[in-house]
Amino acid sequence: MNVVVCVKQIPDPAAPGALDPQSHTLVREGKLILDDSDAYGVEMGLQLAGDAGEVTLVSMAPNQEVSGVRTALAMGAAKAIVVSDPALKGSDALSTAKVLAKAIERVGADLILAATESTDGYTGTTPVQVAELLGLPSVTFAKKVTVSDGKVRVERQTEAGFDEVECPMPCLVTVTAGVVEPRYPSFKGIMAAKSKPVDQLTVADLGLDASSVGAAGARQEITSVAAAEARGGGDIVVDEGDAHERIVQFLEQLKLV
Amino acid sequence: MFEWTEEQVAVRAAVRRFVEAEVVPRVDDLEHGDLPPYDVIRAMYSSFGMDQLARERFERTLAERRASEARKAGAPAGAPLGAATAGAAPSAVRSGSARAEEPELGEPGAPAVAGADRSARRGDAGSAAMTLIPIIELCRHCPGIVTAMGVSVGLAARTIMRRGTADQMERWGRDLVTFEKIGAWAITEPGSGSDALGGMQASARPVDGGYVLNGSKTFITNGPYADTVVFYAKLDDGTGTPRRSRPVLSFVLDRGMTGFEQSAPMRKMGLHSSPTGELFLSDVHVGPDRLLGAEHEASGSDGRQSAKENFVAERAGLAAMSLGVIEQCLALSIDYAKNRMLWGKPIADFQLVQLKLAKMEVARLNVENLVFRHLEMEAAGRPMSLAEASALKLYSAQAASEVAMEAVQLMGGNGYMAEYRVEQLARDAKVFQIYAGTDEIQVTHIARELLGR
Repeated sequence: MNVVVCVKQIPDPAAPGALDPQSHTLVREGKLILDDSDAYGVEMGLQLAGDAGEVTLVSMAPNQEVSGVRTALAMGAAKAIVVSDPALKGSDALSTAKVLAKAIERVGADLILAATESTDGYTGTTPVQVAELLGLPSVTFAKKVTVSDGKVRVERQTEAGFDEVECPMPCLVTVTAGVVEPRYPSFKGIMAAKSKPVDQLTVADLGLDASSVGAAGARQEITSVAAAEARGGGDIVVDEGDAHERIVQFLEQLKLV
Repeated sequence: MFEWTEEQVAVRAAVRRFVEAEVVPRVDDLEHGDLPPYDVIRAMYSSFGMDQLARERFERTLAERRASEARKAGAPAGAPLGAATAGAAPSAVRSGSARAEEPELGEPGAPAVAGADRSARRGDAGSAAMTLIPIIELCRHCPGIVTAMGVSVGLAARTIMRRGTADQMERWGRDLVTFEKIGAWAITEPGSGSDALGGMQASARPVDGGYVLNGSKTFITNGPYADTVVFYAKLDDGTGTPRRSRPVLSFVLDRGMTGFEQSAPMRKMGLHSSPTGELFLSDVHVGPDRLLGAEHEASGSDGRQSAKENFVAERAGLAAMSLGVIEQCLALSIDYAKNRMLWGKPIADFQLVQLKLAKMEVARLNVENLVFRHLEMEAAGRPMSLAEASALKLYSAQAASEVAMEAVQLMGGNGYMAEYRVEQLARDAKVFQIYAGTDEIQVTHIARELLGR
């Protein structure tokens, strides 16, 4: 089975991030790393593809950056398509979905996997938009994925528990961090990743109109950005013999008990 | 080379992630001796395919050894190996007459995780780096793990792979290089540290069908848990050769052999994650199949040369260990200096604190450069001389020890507390100046070459 995994390369969360003062979007220059939340999709893809199939990575990146993609290749993905184009600057979720969908069309996948959301943008809308553009069914928040008889069976995380969902393939599934434990890239895998094919494409290569993507095609605009509210000091309870009651009250307030 | 390549950075990132997830949460258990380090090492081997790589390398080396043995067996007038094994004193390492100080062979350290097959690494800085990067990363948190790993793979396995016959390699080497089994390497004795070969008391008395071994060893890394022990003893053939100049033989012992006892872990100043013990042998009977190096002796190869090659890899490994300790102490110190407020400002504003940080950075740069130099020389196929490796080890060990102690000082009372981690690294780093050749022994090796003696 051939699996496409959508992956995103993001600025290292360990390094202090910066926002572009004009566009209010994250500055994405320099080295990018594989979004941690994508490692689960890559691992799931590798397990489902098995020995007969392969995993293809699809990604959109500024500056033809591929170091994050190499991490996923080191884990075992066979090849990657990375779309880089100055015209993509300022893309919103839908623009991104258009690009990814076009790239995925070139591969011919039985199954498309993505994270539920990225760790830098958190819109969480791109994967489903990709499915819609491809005319494929999609299942979100998978905490377990199995495949048999041309169908994918998903345990779908909900607030109350999980739903069991069955869906014909090809389809798109978004996976949570609980779906599988990602492997570490082996030393051999890291060495091999360097020589795996990475297809670098532009918007024109995909047959997309530059005005439909990037800032030009964006239907969303970030008008302002505010700093998160500083954390409050918290309440200090002095135990006068009734601390246990105060704790229970506090937990009740939070609807935890 | 002045920085790691992209690939090496990827390896470092992967190993760092492993260390943070698998080692850091267990450091306290490892340090308190509640958790032997071996399962963590095995997890690392399998996570990164190091076991698979080691197995493949092993099979190649074994095939080469078998082929070369077949050639020799087929050659006319071949050396009569069988005759050499019993009484005729095949020696793995001859104790030098004038070189009584040779023998930091006996030091318990030996962090060279280098694969047993050196030829596979020669001319390839890439794979030498693959050995050193995990050492550096592990040493940021737990140098003891590296020592336990290094002695098993770098000394026990390596010695068997270099000195052993194909049969011996197969019998003991395979499980050691993949870390399925734990190895120890036993030279040091209670009465001899730096004078390990000259002052050795352990004896091997030839008898019908092999040897009888007696003696005791101390400061043996992995001693308490080892499945396989490379044991050094002096030939006692009753010819009246003075003890100091008797040949030294090496044997392979298995856990549980009659007369062979392994002590519980000894209490140390630091490096608690590396179990250290004593070994006691009383009348342990071994066959010639457990004697290493018989073939080398017959073919006239110099045992001392092979021991020295071990030293070089071991000392380069120590530079990598030092770098890990220094990097971590510097990072923790910078973080502390920026956040610790005194008199209303971060202590990083004080020049005496800045001086400490600057000196740490100088040490980090120097040791990193030494590690890079080692990698470059490997890539060029020109291994370091013993004196060069000694200089590298001497400087790195002292730098690690000083930086770690300065990190404790920089953090004051907090630094003295276990919670801030640097006191452990300081205690751990002290042993870098003692094992794998004391600072003082390194000085003699450097001086000997400088003075042409």
